[in-house]
Amino acid sequence: MAVYEYRGQRLDIPDNDSEYRGYFEAAGEHKLVVKKCRACGLLRGEPGPGCPWCPSLEWDWQEVTGKGTIYSYQIVAHTVIPAFRDMAPFAIVLVELDEQSGQPTPDDGLRITANLVTSDLGPEKEENVAIGKRVEVIFDDEPEGISIPQFKLSGEPPKGDTWQHSV
Amino acid sequence: METSLRGKYAIVGIGETEYSRGSGRSTRAMGAEALRRAMDDAGLNSDDVDGMLSYHGGDSTPSTSIMYDLGLKPNFYMDCSGGGSSTEALIGLAMGAIEAGMCDTVAVFRSMNGYSSIRIGGTGARAASGISGLDLMKRPYGLISAVQNFAFNFTKHMSEYGVKSEDLAHIKVAHSNHASNNPKALMKQRVTVQDVMDSRWIIRPVAHLLDCCLETDNATCVIVTSAERAKDLRQKPIHILGAQGRGTKPGGDFHVQHGNLGRVAGHYVGPRIFELAGVKHEDIDVTGCYDAFTYTVLLQLESYGWCKPGEGKDYVKSGVINLGGEIPNNTSGGHLCEAYTHGMNMVIENVRQLRGTIDDYCPNAANGEHTYDYSEGGCRQVKDAETSMNMGWGTPAVGSALIMRRG
Repeated sequence: MAVYEYRGQRLDIPDNDSEYRGYFEAAGEHKLVVKKCRACGLLRGEPGPGCPWCPSLEWDWQEVTGKGTIYSYQIVAHTVIPAFRDMAPFAIVLVELDEQSGQPTPDDGLRITANLVTSDLGPEKEENVAIGKRVEVIFDDEPEGISIPQFKLSGEPPKGDTWQHSV
Repeated sequence: METSLRGKYAIVGIGETEYSRGSGRSTRAMGAEALRRAMDDAGLNSDDVDGMLSYHGGDSTPSTSIMYDLGLKPNFYMDCSGGGSSTEALIGLAMGAIEAGMCDTVAVFRSMNGYSSIRIGGTGARAASGISGLDLMKRPYGLISAVQNFAFNFTKHMSEYGVKSEDLAHIKVAHSNHASNNPKALMKQRVTVQDVMDSRWIIRPVAHLLDCCLETDNATCVIVTSAERAKDLRQKPIHILGAQGRGTKPGGDFHVQHGNLGRVAGHYVGPRIFELAGVKHEDIDVTGCYDAFTYTVLLQLESYGWCKPGEGKDYVKSGVINLGGEIPNNTSGGHLCEAYTHGMNMVIENVRQLRGTIDDYCPNAANGEHTYDYSEGGCRQVKDAETSMNMGWGTPAVGSALIMRRG
């Protein structure tokens, strides 16, 4: 059982966690991974034991580029988690990774959740958060040995039109 | 689709405790009171109720305690894990248990100290607990509360259809107007669009404080039995035309991994419930939506086909959902203004609507006489309400529905 502290919260990743242990071990090597189905070859972002598409139980970890686009977001103005209060307002983004976007159906994609942060891992300014903006993974290394995948703006041109609420 | 059960079962009793912020007592005590009130409402005694179904999130009391407290001798009971959208589904399961011959009469209940103990909003014990499993992909980023779990769906919908915060506020305004005529409601004060806009932000751009539901201590109960048995009971029976759910979008995830973020469970549950009940939208006189947030109402109205995707923002401003409008929604004030019950109070309200016995401020409401004057401090009975629909929301991916008609 590995127990870590991150932003005042306790993360429990026991040895028998066959979903998330490998994910965070890879993150510790600064690799962002998803699961790849051995039968149909499709990737899935949520690292469950079975393939939602075929449904094989055989899989391998697959490293992805960590580049993607903001698909949706939320600005947390009020947080119930004490350790986050000094950060608010901060952005949580739903990132659609470049791999497998629009596959296997046009509504599908590999999407993962993270904060939108600056290069020094602080919260990105609210006015810079918009659907369609390009992002890339950045790893938040904690002294205890765990690393948390985060995303920052990559500076690439946006994918299609961008949208943001009026600030 | 099997429809032979249409109208074969009925809701014959309803009961609720006081809605409060600080019950000062246990979920067991409240649950026993809600059951007892529903039994008294129906005219049923301890020997008559031989089935129990409850739902909880580790925050309630087991049926085995309450059956002891009321001298029940169930032939069937189950305590199910579940929150929103459980009410409608468990009413269907109650029908199934009776149909299977396991019992004759089922009390469906929910008891929660949702304000003073385990708070739905995620404060207190929830925020202090360790993080494992799927939460490892969410809580390290500060994503913990219900509105946060749904916010990606809301923001995406907003971006696709140009929904504004002001549009959502109209839902709160309608529900608050309804609650002003509800003596039980915790938040009876009528609010304006500007009041909603001026309340502090919780999650931008989708939820101000007044877009969020209450947190409440309460217990609620409905009793289901056969329409045949109902003939001998105290109240006018309210027939169940159909109960559907908990149904899901394919895969059941929040669309976060795959699928269309705006296509919520109602898109899948809707066609089935209308076919099961054998009614169309125009047959429905009053609706109940699970209003955990104003946005859940908008998405349910769109996904169940009350309007087209993207038209919800105009639909909720048109007056149609107001008392006096074509199809009033959440006439009790719902979760936003009456109380947060995990879905049961909107079903109880519609039972009262169909009975014609809404407990409003009309001078002779106790005798079933209503003024149909919906101004503040007045009536909330829908005139000649025959058929109702409830839409239950568990998550963007999970929902249930219930259509009832007065006997």
